[in-house]
Amino acid sequence: MPSAAEIAWLIPVLPLFGALITGLALISFNRSINRLRKPVAISLVSCVGLSAAISYAVLAEQLSGGPPVEHLFVWASAGSFTLPMGYLIDPLGAVMLALVTTIALLVMIYSHGYMAHDKGYVRFFTYLALFSSSMLGLIVSPNLLEIYVFWELVGMCSYLLVGFWYDRDGAAHAAQKAFVVNRVGDFGLLLGILGLFWATQSFDFQGIADGLANAIASGTVPTWAALTLCLLVFMGPMAKSAQFPLHVWLPDAMEGPTPISALIHAATMVAAGVFLVARLEPLYSQFPSVGFVIALVGTITCFLGASIALTQMDLKKGLAYSTVSQLGYMMLAMGCGAPVAGMFHLVTHAFFKAMLFLGSGSVIHAMEDVVGHEPVLAQDMRLMGGLRKKMPITSITFLIGCIAISGIPPLAGFWSKDEILGNAFNTFPALWFIGFLTAGMTAFYMFRLYFLTFEGEFRGGDKELQLVLLSAAGKDEDEEADHQEAELHESPWSMTYPLIALAIPSVLIGFLGAPWNSRFAFLLNPAEALEMANSFSWGEFLPLAAASVAISTAGIALSVFAYYLNRINLNKLIVQRFPSINSFLANKWYLDLINEKIFVKGSRKLAREVLEVDAKVVDGVVNLTGLLTLGSGEGLKYFETGRAQFYALIVFGGVIALVALFGVFGGS
Amino acid sequence: MDANLPIAAASQVDFPWLSLIVLLPAVGALLMPLLPGETKYSGSELPRNLALSFLFADFLLIIGVFSQLFDNSLHEIQLAERISWIPLIGLEWSLGADGISAPLVVLSGLITLLSAAASWKIKSKKRLYFALLLVQASAQALVFLSQDFLLFFLAWELELVPVYLLIAIWGGTNRQYAATKFILYTALASLLILISGLAIAFSGNQFTLNFTELAELKPSGSFGLLCYLGFLVGFGVKLPIFPLHTWLPDAHGEANAPVSMLLAGVLLKMGGYALIRFNVQMLPTAHLQLAPALIVIGIVNIIYGALNAFAQDNVKRRIACSSVSHMGFVLLGIGAIDALGISGAMLQMISHGLIAAAMFFFTGSFYERTNTLSIPNMGGLAKVLPITFAFFLTSSLASLALPGMSGFISEITIFLGITSQENFTSIFRSIVVILSAIGLVLTPIYLLSMCRRVFFGPRIPALANTSEMNAREMTIGLTLLVPTLVIGFWPRAAIDFYEASTNTLAENLLNTGITTTLKSLPIG
Repeated sequence: MPSAAEIAWLIPVLPLFGALITGLALISFNRSINRLRKPVAISLVSCVGLSAAISYAVLAEQLSGGPPVEHLFVWASAGSFTLPMGYLIDPLGAVMLALVTTIALLVMIYSHGYMAHDKGYVRFFTYLALFSSSMLGLIVSPNLLEIYVFWELVGMCSYLLVGFWYDRDGAAHAAQKAFVVNRVGDFGLLLGILGLFWATQSFDFQGIADGLANAIASGTVPTWAALTLCLLVFMGPMAKSAQFPLHVWLPDAMEGPTPISALIHAATMVAAGVFLVARLEPLYSQFPSVGFVIALVGTITCFLGASIALTQMDLKKGLAYSTVSQLGYMMLAMGCGAPVAGMFHLVTHAFFKAMLFLGSGSVIHAMEDVVGHEPVLAQDMRLMGGLRKKMPITSITFLIGCIAISGIPPLAGFWSKDEILGNAFNTFPALWFIGFLTAGMTAFYMFRLYFLTFEGEFRGGDKELQLVLLSAAGKDEDEEADHQEAELHESPWSMTYPLIALAIPSVLIGFLGAPWNSRFAFLLNPAEALEMANSFSWGEFLPLAAASVAISTAGIALSVFAYYLNRINLNKLIVQRFPSINSFLANKWYLDLINEKIFVKGSRKLAREVLEVDAKVVDGVVNLTGLLTLGSGEGLKYFETGRAQFYALIVFGGVIALVALFGVFGGS
Repeated sequence: MDANLPIAAASQVDFPWLSLIVLLPAVGALLMPLLPGETKYSGSELPRNLALSFLFADFLLIIGVFSQLFDNSLHEIQLAERISWIPLIGLEWSLGADGISAPLVVLSGLITLLSAAASWKIKSKKRLYFALLLVQASAQALVFLSQDFLLFFLAWELELVPVYLLIAIWGGTNRQYAATKFILYTALASLLILISGLAIAFSGNQFTLNFTELAELKPSGSFGLLCYLGFLVGFGVKLPIFPLHTWLPDAHGEANAPVSMLLAGVLLKMGGYALIRFNVQMLPTAHLQLAPALIVIGIVNIIYGALNAFAQDNVKRRIACSSVSHMGFVLLGIGAIDALGISGAMLQMISHGLIAAAMFFFTGSFYERTNTLSIPNMGGLAKVLPITFAFFLTSSLASLALPGMSGFISEITIFLGITSQENFTSIFRSIVVILSAIGLVLTPIYLLSMCRRVFFGPRIPALANTSEMNAREMTIGLTLLVPTLVIGFWPRAAIDFYEASTNTLAENLLNTGITTTLKSLPIG
């Protein structure tokens, strides 16, 4: 019986295998395979399930102190250069493997219910399996170049899944934007990888870190160059983990089906950036100034996301900006030199945010039966309200998620967020303060989402409001008009079961990271965990924890007064007094506008101008030369008679004659 | 001229396999006029079937010869044949293959076969059409296999005729203009090739046209540079390099899809092949001096081509401009003057041959159904043509160098080649890598926006009644995309084919006593 780590290469290969077979079948026997929904879904779920089983075994091995395992083979070579690929199993990877397979599995089960009526059911499952495979491949990658390979592949899966409903214009634009913005990040990542290879002759994480340290010590690489390379590499995580200013793609990506938003755009792929920074810890820990930049970017992102989330009326967009904000927290932890804290928040956040998104999917699923499939209507909280009575499981799990993310003990979010804030407090107090404020905002906007959706009276029947919303979105009156006026109902078991399954870790998993005995830290970095446990003092922990709980409670209280008891009218109190702040937030800090004006329009204009030059100048010179060569219009007329093919033969004959001439000359 | 010619590298093979590869399609072309005329049997598919069977047999032969008789661990010319043909002018029928020509012969055999299969619905002058395809197949194999300069040049010229006619007779509305532009460009370029080649041939103590002997002359100084420039312009038109590229969008825009497949899959590769064969192998000194210039042109190609592509409103013209951009990477790889770079350039040619041919094929496939190539007039095609959409999107992703596809391997190899070239200063390398990596950002912009505008979005009623791809079209599509994926997952499948030759080429380059030349350059 081989150890689980020895067969860990199967973890990404199994889902890939499933996806390839179904994908080929979809192309070749489209109709018949689309009829085999259940068998396809079951086989793909079992592929991911097997991967999950192996991942758990791998994690168990690592927990019991198994050694890291690395296997490499030569993938490509030229001259003396060889490019090794393979897989690496270590505690960090093992944690991520277990996390990703668990959530992927639950999301697949959920999708069976959510996508039940969709024509693209089989295609959806194929994409899911393909994504799982790429994401798992990314986790086990032993070097930067292999990470880049899977990095781009998860990006492609995201593109395919955001654009899953390809007949929607919004989805088409969002998918393209996601891919292009990520390519901008990958541009930096690739340059960084190449530069680090130039500096260290290595792609290996530890090799790069050691090599760069040596190169700086020996003076072959100046420090500024090393810093630039580190920051270039960081551009990749910035785009993938939606950090300011490359976060713009993530909220748009909510055009994809909701299970995707949960799996890719909340729990796994967007966390890949944080994971990569954790992987590069040996490198980044050498440069405190890079750490500061990372922490700063993280803090800005964290604040920006939360502030925009305050005004969102679209349930999914609200959650999306919350994700942006939470990813900012993780990056802040990375920048503070506390990758364990960041990874811990990544894990807890993956569970409760996936649950929140799946919960929102459950809500949207129910709303669609009442207001139709137009996302402008089905996702707008102004049309929701009072859903708790109809959807008890969804509302309870959603509430658990809200408490968890708000950082109320003893739920998961408290432990992980508090650890990050504690680290920030010790490293960059100013950044801690912003993170601390953001914690209050988080509690406020999350409970705002909860109250608007689940409490109060149901507002979905309001036809006038629907028309207003549609026209505000620039859409025609719903031409399909399939308002079945059905009753709101709880979602089927396949959707509620994953919600319950996710609620358990959302409540409990935080205890694994209790600062006085962090099992999570003991797994990832025993030395650091020991130091953490030894230096732990209640006197330090309690005031900070109390402060964060206090500000979260304040946020929740404000939300309760404003949206549950309706005692405070925030509209009168703030919006009307400070319209500029409100429009600043509602317009997402105007970043999309700037992006559109400068980059999108600018590149189009540049391209048009270049084409103009090409047509008029470059080609013009050619045409002019052609005219001069032919002498006059007489020649052109000859071409237009349609007998121009003879010209080719004349040229050919002439050339042969020339060859003969030269030949004779040469022979003499 | 001596009748008993020495064989340069390996001993002469007992059977002229390469001649058979070259001549088999031509035999098919000669049979074509014997088929019944079209007036009575206009519905006859005999010409097509004849061409397909000859091309298929030729492709099997190519595969058989290069998998069984060709030893890819050797860098020398193999399977050599050398017969004095016209002693008066020193012309020899001299064929041979090494790792640089072999993969391209396989590629062109495959593309031509698929191009004939894609010409299923050709209506007019079938005999002529398929005869031209067969002639083209012979000519291009001869280009890649000939080891004699005059023979090479004859093949180079011979291949222009069928392409010219294929565009001029079966092209779109503006076909005469496009075809004329093509022939003028290439014919003038040929003149430079001829002059440069003969100049080198005369430069030695004894007149020779044999490649191996020419390569030993190693002309240097300003004479070498002049010859190099002559070749560069001559072959650069075919590749194409900026600013000699303007025939390409016109030719692609007007040619029908199968001919576009040939143009992108084979003709452009002839330019890259000849650059490696002549400029790199025969003129190493000049190449080392001008490599930085080549890199600069490559960067211009990449960015200029991409920007042009973004502004094009016609699907085929957009893909044509993307070819200009992708071929820039070939220049970059050749200019990197190390094993990685040249290996990457080879792979980029193979990869682009497959991917661009695939894109043109799928374009042709939906053009037959929609009758428009204008991007603004389309939209929502995915709804009616989901499988075409899947194929087109896959090839677009391959074209934008997505990992898992061959384009990624080639581009990353070229990047690594530039990065690890110690003979360039760090600043030069940084600028080159940064600028060419901008291409990686521009490619998805123009390719994905094309996919979005053609396939995504709500259905356009005018395009509603269209039928999906049939089994034949899917087979062609898969035949082009599966190798792309295989190379993407297992690059050694392609690299092993040519690695010995590219490594030797790079070693020879650096053994030319050149480090001094390089270091004396302003940027070296």
